[in-house]
Parts: sequence; structure tokens; C-alpha cells
Amino acid sequence: MLFKNPVTVASGTFGHSERYYDLEEVKRLGAIVPKTVTFHPQTGNPPVRIVETASGMINAIGIENPGIDAFIADKLPALKSIRVPLIISISGKDEEQWVGIIEKLNTQEGITAVELNLSCPNLKNKVLVAQDAQATMQLVKQMKALSKFPIIAKLSPNVTDIAQIAQAAEDGGADAVSLVNTFQAMAIDVKTRRSRIGNITGGLSGPAIRPIAVYMVRRVAASVKIPVIGMGGIMNAQDALEFLIAGATMVAVGTANFINPRAPLDVLEGIEAFMKENKIDDINEIIGSLKV
Amino acid sequence: MKKIQNKYKIITNESLCPKYWRMVFDAPQIAAEVKPGQFVHIRTDEEGLQPFFRRPFSVFRAQKYVEIFYAVVGRGTKLLSLKKKGDSIDVLGPLGTPFIYPPESTKQVVMIAGGIGVAPMLILSDVLKKKKCALFLLYGARSREFVYPMTEFKDNGVKVHVATEDGSVGLKGRISILFDKIDWTVKDTFIYTCGPNPMLKAVQTFAGKQGIAGQVACEAIMACGLGACQGCSIETTSGYKTVCHDGPAFNLDEVIFH
Repeated sequence: MLFKNPVTVASGTFGHSERYYDLEEVKRLGAIVPKTVTFHPQTGNPPVRIVETASGMINAIGIENPGIDAFIADKLPALKSIRVPLIISISGKDEEQWVGIIEKLNTQEGITAVELNLSCPNLKNKVLVAQDAQATMQLVKQMKALSKFPIIAKLSPNVTDIAQIAQAAEDGGADAVSLVNTFQAMAIDVKTRRSRIGNITGGLSGPAIRPIAVYMVRRVAASVKIPVIGMGGIMNAQDALEFLIAGATMVAVGTANFINPRAPLDVLEGIEAFMKENKIDDINEIIGSLKV
Repeated sequence: MKKIQNKYKIITNESLCPKYWRMVFDAPQIAAEVKPGQFVHIRTDEEGLQPFFRRPFSVFRAQKYVEIFYAVVGRGTKLLSLKKKGDSIDVLGPLGTPFIYPPESTKQVVMIAGGIGVAPMLILSDVLKKKKCALFLLYGARSREFVYPMTEFKDNGVKVHVATEDGSVGLKGRISILFDKIDWTVKDTFIYTCGPNPMLKAVQTFAGKQGIAGQVACEAIMACGLGACQGCSIETTSGYKTVCHDGPAFNLDEVIFH
């Protein structure tokens, strides 16, 4: 996979492009990752779905999406027309669904890669696929064999050793790994003694998680040979550069989109300015350049 | 970004009564485009990240300048209240689905607002005063501190009735005691309402019994304001809908209040 620049958006954070974004600007992004698509339509979790926390947020949206058929029929054409590389994030509840989604995507053109959202149930072990190295390896292997598009494994940080899971994805044949997804979290309303999230627990994102995400990207980049897409609380170019220096070949801007819809472009322009200032012509001079 | 994200200069920022403030800023683009019921999404802490999210505010009025009406309730609105004339603010907007206007045959429009829920009603009356229907505002608040003079409404020909929970202004009691002030037998009455959810539920129930149609402006904790994160969804008769993109304005009988 080749992209014209290393900046993309994280799944689930970018939407309604035609109404709110200047498409000429969106075209400058390295890639777009729309919200995760599941086999069947999902209505999402009951409100309250988000809560603001210190330098971040907890969300439990519940992957509200129209399902793969409606996605292909209604959303994909408009996304393709933006003419930016598309990375389609998918998630299945069981093997049949995963296979079904991939087969449906295989009928399409104009997709650059498929990202497997592994933060999904692993029915055999009662943990997430992303929390089980063996399950990760097997699922990636199966998807890689079926898919006509490159496969990216999106990893969960809710594991003891994320490098081990990344290696499992690499062993399964993944073309790249992306990390991190959100951290399991909760916030409690002291007055009512209830969770402030309808789903009780949710996923923490935003700058609050960035130092942990940078650490994990560093660990994974040192452990696998495939490219690493880094994300976790990137608000500006400085943040993105941390991930690149830690070894990410590409970065995704997620939660920052909610505060500053122009954040991905600010990050891109900031990296360009940094390179110019430091007389760097090739982004590869930054990637993995951590000095120890 | 389409030109919907911008920095605008503050013209005035003052308290209108002990609990409520009005900020006026120079945003010709928003002023030209905004429709009643739409909102602006303001970054109250541009330097730091406290609060992290933007804060949504109904547009109170849009003439030469854009006005918002707000209560100081937390750190975000506190920071907003500290802004001075000449300072700039980072605004995203106008956003959301506006109110639909009443049918041409409408004889009277009753706006029912609780507390800060009065915010989208002034800009609405600015538009509706040009139509040939009688305008009423039923306003409910906790006490005198939450009631501002409302001269702009009166200037628009709106007949205003106020109730406060402690009786310090107008009738004593909740807003429902003002329902008697309206002749609901008038054919083609239309309701607009905004306020706390228990009040909206009471208005919805009342309107349902009377067979009166209307619109409601809803509130929710919001992150993006663009319909992207789907965080502000509420329950409606046709499933979850986002307050920021599908709303804030919904049909009164469509929202399921809990």
C-alpha cells in the first residue's frame, strides 16, 4: 500500500463529508477510514453514549451502522467519489459474518484496504479476538486468504502485551497493524451512583491516552516488520510526530475531529512545516527515528 | 473545512439577569445562513482542553450580529462569560436541522420554554412575526433570577406569560399552570417547545391530548456537532437520531422522553 502522505482519520470519527467539509481539503488526506461496518445493521447503544473526561472522552456508541449491504449501496459510492484512498473498517460477530462481509466487499472496486476491527467478541474464549493471539492469527489468516484487498489488523490496547498480538496478526499475514483502539473505561455520577454511560462501560480516547498509545506503538514497531498505523489522542502535528518517531508509518486522527474538524489537515500541514523547517525531504527520515 | 469553522469577534458579552448571559459576535456568514432552531458549537477553552468538547448553543438572534443566550453552569460557560468585547471565539456553525415553520393556515403559535430553553424562541419569533398568526410565549423558570425582561419578544408582538416555581415573578408554579392562558380551542394552533426533559414530556402529553402539532428543540451532551460521532443520539419513534444532525428540532410527537 502506498499513500501520498501519512495522515488519515480514525474509524468512527469522520462523517457527513458532503455537508460539512470542503472536499478539496479532504482530498489532501492520505486516506479515509469510515466508521466500522458490521454484517447486519446495528442501531447502537441506548443513550447516554458519550461522556467528557479529563483531556478525553468515553464513548459507547455501539457501532451504529447500516450494515454491509446498505453501506455498499448507499455510502460507498459517495465515499469513492471523494477520490481519497479508502480503508474500510469491518467487524463480524462470528466467522460466518466475517466471511460474508469480505465476500461482499470483494465484489467492489476502489477500496485500498480492509481494516479488521478485532475488538469484537471471540465466541470460543469469551474475550475479544484482539485479546487472544491465537484467535487474532487465525482470523487474520482466514481474511487474508479471502480478501482481494490488503488487510490491516486494528488492535485493542486492553491486553497484557500488545506486541504479542501484533506478532500474531503478522503471522496471520496482515499487511499492516493499526493501534490503538480505545481503552475500556467508566465514569460514575457520584450523586446518582450510576455510570455516566448508558452502556455502563465504554472506550476512553483523546489526549488522555496518548502517552500509552505512543508507548504501545513503539513496542509494536520494534516487534513486527509490517507497517504500523499509530493513533491515540493525536490533536496536532507535534503529537503525530511522536507516533512517527516511535515507529508508525502512518498516523490517524480520531477524537480530535470532534473538537476541530480540520484537525487532520492541521496535522498534515504541521508535519509538512516541521519537515521544511528541519530540511527533511523524506518522511522515512522521521519514521522510527527514536534515539535511545 | 467549509467555511463553517471560523474565529469571530465578540461585540458584547453581558449578563441579562443574574443567571443568564448574552454574547453577541460578528459572524456575517452565520447571520445570513442560520435558521431558527439551529445552533453554533463553541470551543470555550482554545488554549487548553478543559473542557474538552465544544459547547453547543442555540442561536438566540441573528440580525446584523449573531447572539447566543447562555447560563453559566460549568467551566466552559464560565470561560465564555469571561470573554470581553474585542476577544475572538472559535465557532462552528450554523449546525443542525432547524425548526419547520407552521402550516400557512396556522392561527396561533404557542412557544413553551423552560429556563434556558427560551434561547431558540427569539429568533423564531423574529421570523414568525411576519406571518399572520398570534404569538404567545409561556415561560417557566425557577425564580426571578432566571427571568430577563423579554422586551425583544414583546417588541415582536409576542404575548408573554411567566410562571416561577417560587412565585417571585408571574404565577407561582410549574409552566403547566400557564396552559390555561391559551385558548386551545383555536383551530390550527402550533406549538414550539424547548426546556428540561420532564417539561418537554408534559408538553408532549398535553399537546397529544389536545391534538395539537408542534416542534421540539432537544438538548444532549454533544461531541462533534456534525453527526459524525453519533454520541448525542436520543430515542425517537423511528429509532435513534442524533440531536446535532437530525435535530435539534424534531416533531413534538416523535421524541421518546424518559
